[in-house]
Amino acid sequence: MKISKSIYWFFLPGLVLYSLFFLYPTFSALFYSFTDWDGLSTAFQFVGIDNYTRAFTGDSIFQKTIGNNLKFMLTVVVFQTLVALAFALIVIKNTKTNVFLRALYFFPTILSSVSVAFIWAFIYDPSMGILNQVLQLVGLDFLAQNWLGNANIAIYSLAITQIWFHAGQMLIIFVAGLQAIPEELYEVAKIEGASKWQAFRSVTWPLLAPSATIVVAYTTIQSFKAFDLVFAMTGGGPNNSTEIIATYIYDVAFKSYQFGYASSISVIFMVIIALITYLQFKALRSDRVSY
Amino acid sequence: MKNKLWLATGTIGLGFVLGACAGESGSDSSSDSGDATQISFMHWRGEDKAVLDDIIADFEEANPDIRVEQNIYPSDQYQATAQRMLQEGSTGDVFTSFPGAQFESIESAGFFEDLSGEEFVSNFDESLISVGQKDGTQFALPYQLVFNMPVYNKGMFDELGLEVPKSWTEFQEMADTLLENDITPIAFPGADIGPNQFMNSMMMNNAPDEEVFAKLQNGEESLTNEWWVKTLEDFKLLADKGYIQDDALGTNQDSAMAMVANEEAAMLATGSYHMNSLLSLNPDLELDLLAPITVEESEATYEGINTATFMLAVNSNSEKKDQAKAFIDYLSQPEVASKYANETGQHLTVNDVEYESEALQNTSYWIDERNTRFQPRFLITNAQIEDAVLSSIENVLGGEDPMAAAEAAQQIVEENRE
Repeated sequence: MKISKSIYWFFLPGLVLYSLFFLYPTFSALFYSFTDWDGLSTAFQFVGIDNYTRAFTGDSIFQKTIGNNLKFMLTVVVFQTLVALAFALIVIKNTKTNVFLRALYFFPTILSSVSVAFIWAFIYDPSMGILNQVLQLVGLDFLAQNWLGNANIAIYSLAITQIWFHAGQMLIIFVAGLQAIPEELYEVAKIEGASKWQAFRSVTWPLLAPSATIVVAYTTIQSFKAFDLVFAMTGGGPNNSTEIIATYIYDVAFKSYQFGYASSISVIFMVIIALITYLQFKALRSDRVSY
Repeated sequence: MKNKLWLATGTIGLGFVLGACAGESGSDSSSDSGDATQISFMHWRGEDKAVLDDIIADFEEANPDIRVEQNIYPSDQYQATAQRMLQEGSTGDVFTSFPGAQFESIESAGFFEDLSGEEFVSNFDESLISVGQKDGTQFALPYQLVFNMPVYNKGMFDELGLEVPKSWTEFQEMADTLLENDITPIAFPGADIGPNQFMNSMMMNNAPDEEVFAKLQNGEESLTNEWWVKTLEDFKLLADKGYIQDDALGTNQDSAMAMVANEEAAMLATGSYHMNSLLSLNPDLELDLLAPITVEESEATYEGINTATFMLAVNSNSEKKDQAKAFIDYLSQPEVASKYANETGQHLTVNDVEYESEALQNTSYWIDERNTRFQPRFLITNAQIEDAVLSSIENVLGGEDPMAAAEAAQQIVEENRE
């Protein structure tokens, strides 16, 4: 089939937008990461790899943010994936109830993140919050916590909010993946005498791998970029225990006016996300589905 | 024909995209509207919008050739984005600045117009506007005078026969009496502004040297020295003895205000700017200000904390500087300032302001009868060092040993020293 050359013009708007809003900022960040630019003045100096050296050897808060981000990411990826998968298995059939439940589970996703942050900050409030009050009401006082004020658990409290916020989105991806699995395979498994668990392990899970890969990769990226939720709920506190890389970049750039250094952290951040996503794709091997 | 149609559609589409981009970048919030020149007044006081709207309406009536548009951003966002908008020049012909780090960075970026020779400068109390100066040049004029120290329920104190404590020993005795009466002495909003507000009065007499944070930043002082370790120990004592509420680090300012308004707590560890909000929650409250004296009476240098803030300035990148100055001149007139003060419940730095509300009258003695100190936190000009200082308080309230918290914070100070 011959394609007219004029069709290439249609790439232009997308290419212009992509270059303007992605390529240009990305290369600018890379460029400024080797400078001491303060973000305001026109003058700056090249400082070589000083910013990178500082990030890895002379900035204990940045190192702490990497740890916080990993805790947050692992909690969110594991539990959000499991919750979404479990709920997807429950609502897989297209009954009226299930369609309603899917919409219900998806509902938090359409809320703005700042609204979600305010709702959950209120839920977590140690004195007036509904969570501690319910726990006390059902006799589980010992579980009542200072959810966002305790430096040891605040990051996990944020992770729970993130899971509530985005699990519905992942559920939809899983439902689509589950519905694409041919029914015959389950019939064969049944004839072969496979239990439900064996059918899940040998049929569902391998064929769901492409969906799982998307879910895990997307959840990972999402959890690294959970800036708005963290910013609105804790601002990185207490004692930097919920400071993640994204909020730290903001602090360094816009509160300390060290754009050069913030750019170097952004570049490191980008490399970390790319590396983790690559490793996940390799581990989940989504392209090797076998029957 | 079909290809040409596609090409035409694609070109029109691209035109729309580029047109939209051009329209966005060309928008200007401080443009000429009709015959009048429109200026932008950029600030962070959303709660003052209504009264400022009234004042602006009067100003526009008196100056029919000038229109003023308010551009209001939440204070967090304001601290982060104001400089960018000032750089561009179309927003913030008149703008406000916080003292301290923001003033320093705007000054070093050259966005302040020199106001030194302007007549309206003399409308302000000379002793309260030095924070808007740099090397003898008046770049900004603080408008509000805030007392960043606990607000207390004076009626409750009178009822319990409590005097305002003059020493740390008396403060603890006062707090014990409140506890005996099932009242939490201090409502501390540790989840948001508590640490950055309460640290000022907690340290003011532990480190009476006003240069202490400048010295910290240049390496002459350390957070592991006695002045800061004692401050952290005092915070620990407040937490350990139950003088601040349980789970204070999870309490935000709204919850803390509710505790004081409901008379579950006697003091709110924020500042005078919350008095109006407290009175709107409970009009029966009788309020005043009380800073903890953390040393013995004979050793006390300061009685409280003040901050001259909401600093009015003219953007050096503005093309409407004369109109911007006319607006500041108007705001500095005693009758206009009085209207602003009384309707927002704020003390001001403008001369001859008449305070009408009871709360303002009751506390105006703090302006000239008490020895208050400029908010020390605003003298930390490095935001990461400020974070380290505040984190050490959170760390102690979270259970850490004061010296260990001070050492951890000092490490961050050393990493970020310029």
